[in-house]
Amino acid sequence: MTGAPAYEALGQALDAQKERLLPCVHCGFCLPACPTYNRLGNEADSPRGRLHLMQAVVEGRLDPSSEAFRTHIDRCLGCRACEPVCPSGVEYGTLLELARETATKAVPQGLPTRFLLKVLGTRALRSPFFFIGRLLRGTGLAALGATVLPSYGPFRAIRLVLAMLASTTRWQPMASEEATSGNTDSGSHDVSRRSRVAVLLGCVQEGLFARINSATVRVLEANGYEVVLVEGQDCCGALHAHGGDLESARMLARSNIRAFKASGADLIAVNAAGCGAAMKDYGILLEGDPDFVQRAEEVALAVRDVSEILASSGPRIGASIPCKIAYDHPCHLLHAQGVEHAPITVLEAVPDAEVHIVAGAEECCGGAGIYGITHPELGGLIGGDKVSAVRACLADVVATPNPGCMMQIGAGLRLEASNEGVIHPVELLDESYRRAGFYRAGGAE
Amino acid sequence: MASLLTGKVSSGMTQPLPSSVASDLAEIVGHEHVITDPDRLLVYESDGLTAYRRSPRAVVLPSSTEEISAVVGLLHSNGIEVIPRGAGTGLSGGALATPEGVIVGTARMNRILKIDVENRIAIAQPGVINARLTEATNPYGLYYAPDPSSQSTCTLGGNVAENSGGPHCLKYGVTARYVTGLTVVLAGGRIVELGGVGRDPYTTLDLVGLFVGSEGCFGIATEIELRLLPITEGVRTLLGIFESVESAGRAVTKIIASGLMPAAVEIVDGPTIEAVEASVFAAGYPLEAGAALVIEFDGTEAGLDLDADRAEQCCLEEGAIEVQRATDPEHRMKLWRARKKAFGAMGRIAPDLLVQDATVPRTKLPEVLAGIDNIGNRYGLKIANVFHAGDGNLHPNILFDRQNQNELELVERASKEIMQLCVDAGGTITGEHGVGVDKREYMTLVHGPAELEAMAAAKRVFDPASLFNPGKVLPAVEVKEANESRSN
Repeated sequence: MTGAPAYEALGQALDAQKERLLPCVHCGFCLPACPTYNRLGNEADSPRGRLHLMQAVVEGRLDPSSEAFRTHIDRCLGCRACEPVCPSGVEYGTLLELARETATKAVPQGLPTRFLLKVLGTRALRSPFFFIGRLLRGTGLAALGATVLPSYGPFRAIRLVLAMLASTTRWQPMASEEATSGNTDSGSHDVSRRSRVAVLLGCVQEGLFARINSATVRVLEANGYEVVLVEGQDCCGALHAHGGDLESARMLARSNIRAFKASGADLIAVNAAGCGAAMKDYGILLEGDPDFVQRAEEVALAVRDVSEILASSGPRIGASIPCKIAYDHPCHLLHAQGVEHAPITVLEAVPDAEVHIVAGAEECCGGAGIYGITHPELGGLIGGDKVSAVRACLADVVATPNPGCMMQIGAGLRLEASNEGVIHPVELLDESYRRAGFYRAGGAE
Repeated sequence: MASLLTGKVSSGMTQPLPSSVASDLAEIVGHEHVITDPDRLLVYESDGLTAYRRSPRAVVLPSSTEEISAVVGLLHSNGIEVIPRGAGTGLSGGALATPEGVIVGTARMNRILKIDVENRIAIAQPGVINARLTEATNPYGLYYAPDPSSQSTCTLGGNVAENSGGPHCLKYGVTARYVTGLTVVLAGGRIVELGGVGRDPYTTLDLVGLFVGSEGCFGIATEIELRLLPITEGVRTLLGIFESVESAGRAVTKIIASGLMPAAVEIVDGPTIEAVEASVFAAGYPLEAGAALVIEFDGTEAGLDLDADRAEQCCLEEGAIEVQRATDPEHRMKLWRARKKAFGAMGRIAPDLLVQDATVPRTKLPEVLAGIDNIGNRYGLKIANVFHAGDGNLHPNILFDRQNQNELELVERASKEIMQLCVDAGGTITGEHGVGVDKREYMTLVHGPAELEAMAAAKRVFDPASLFNPGKVLPAVEVKEANESRSN
């Protein structure tokens, strides 16, 4: 309509996606699924409202550098809870990334976001960054800071970061030297399948949760899979794509596609829901890259959440670990990948582990990258509701298969001085197998 | 009208709100709940009927009866029109803004205030989602009967305004039958209480009955007292597959004429089957079918199987290819989801759609459906039908592409012909979506001047200055006369 040329160029990325926007018929079925709309009641903070703003940019009726566009696109958690309830199948997640790219090209992201994306996407920066993180965690400084720092002003964000860091500590009962007991079927389990499985190591996962990666490898091997090591793999690029830095996301995706293709693995196991969702969408991410798109689609088709692989072969039953677990769905597993039962099946392979689904488990925990830092008020509200729901389970430990969610819920519990631990489901299964003796020489065979 | 479909409303540009009014509104509801930025107001330019677009001057989101009263009082004292809005899922443009208007949204008024199990009554704020009331009362063995297809997102306030129906209203009746009392904010911000279960609304003048279905033209309901029903013991859901919509229509007539009392009878036609089967709500309807008939019986277990057998027989006699029966609750939900999500799923087969809503005598269904098909063919438009066959409530979905100007014109003409066809068959211009802005020009097809004047007079009683949702329901000429009589 009246758009200046520069402004039209900004809308182009979205414009190319008209076909993705058109299926929205404005029915409004997505409204009640949206955590921000449910809390704010403003339709600009609903999926339909955001799509309408994107459409307005495409039509040249709205400047992508406008405060309205940037604020409401930025305020989206990216949880994609709107996708499974959409009768027209609008690919909201993909559109959001493009809208973010459009908005951040108009006005760059804030410093904390840019810093984090730079560090996570660059191997040489990642190692020292997470080394410092582990140092703060190991020395107890993170836990101490989260306890003593005040919860206002500039301290609020620091306190949250330290609490997130402290919450990445291994759940203590898991580390105890329990006597081996309840060994069930170490000899009888069918281990003849022998698919070749590669494991995505990830950035945060490798930096702070290396134990989960090791557990993933052990558990897969104990279930008869041949785990292949993949050199040259990198951060999956999910956080970059969510942040609108699609160029970096594509660069990282290309590295991973090369590395995983070269590995010759049948499947790619991912133990972080956000990474799995991003990798399953590699084909869409690289649809404009004729050299890569086919390989991207092939890699995407090979990607599985580790729980999907384990559940498909009916995970081997381990030794008893009596505990009460609160399970919470990561959005990028439930909504983005449609995986609901597999992680619960993994937990249920541990005898005497009693699984309770957190009330409202299908709603986002408010983790969403660094939402708690960029949107302290709203992030605090959403996170607070999740922590209350988790606490109401009166569980020993909360299980959720995504590092961001583990840190968000873990930090929330810690800041409320609540004692529940946080685990990834494969950690529990791994400990169960250890207690069952599957890892002693020949135990897995 | 054709110009409206292009999304550009010709009559008048939206005026910014005077800053003193904006700051007074912020004083009442809080700064963050008043939206005046034109960029943000774009989001509120349409409801579920996107053929019409017009931004309001502002959107206000109050959180209580008192706040609504103060907001309405302030706006009306400044001569500013109020357009009530729930979830914005309406399909007749009932929540479309006027150039002078401010939208008062109920999204933040989403609490269920009371569930009275003994008296089977609930009191809810208007922003409560229809399905949430059923979810909240299910643990007590109760539910809320009216079930519009948008029940997972539409609000009770909107249901009251539109007197909403739904598939199960065939047996259970529409919203009006369930509203026993209302707290209402009237023109100028006056708060009144209408009815109330303890006061037996049916022995005095039934103002609740008058208010329900008034499409936001009389005031805003801020607390809604609703009758709940006990959950039925048993349910049987059947899916009949037919070669044509006409034979499915004949089966409906036969079922009702046989004396059966189904809870719901719904028809989904071939093009709609194509859309839903392509969606995440695919229910396994055969793609080659000309129509599918969803039939449901509920009540005490005894006799349900017999009813289902008789309905199946009716279907087979009218040429059903097959009749399936839902075997478990999951299967039943799946069959229903396909029906209830059909509107949204249309986005898969066309970029734009106009959902029509009309009612015809049930016996006329086969001939009216053939007539609609004929109109579609004549204009070269794809029309998908999905509707409440049991009570003759049709929903032809005209599929089009907004970017094709020629097609827009055809959609308009086809739409009007369909309305005329239904009226000629002895029906009327809306079954449940309301008149809103979309149907107001059709009002004269079914109502004479005396009736229209009676409606205008009723509006003047509640809203003498015509500041509540003006430009809706009554045709333009009636509104003009009303305004003249006001200034005289």
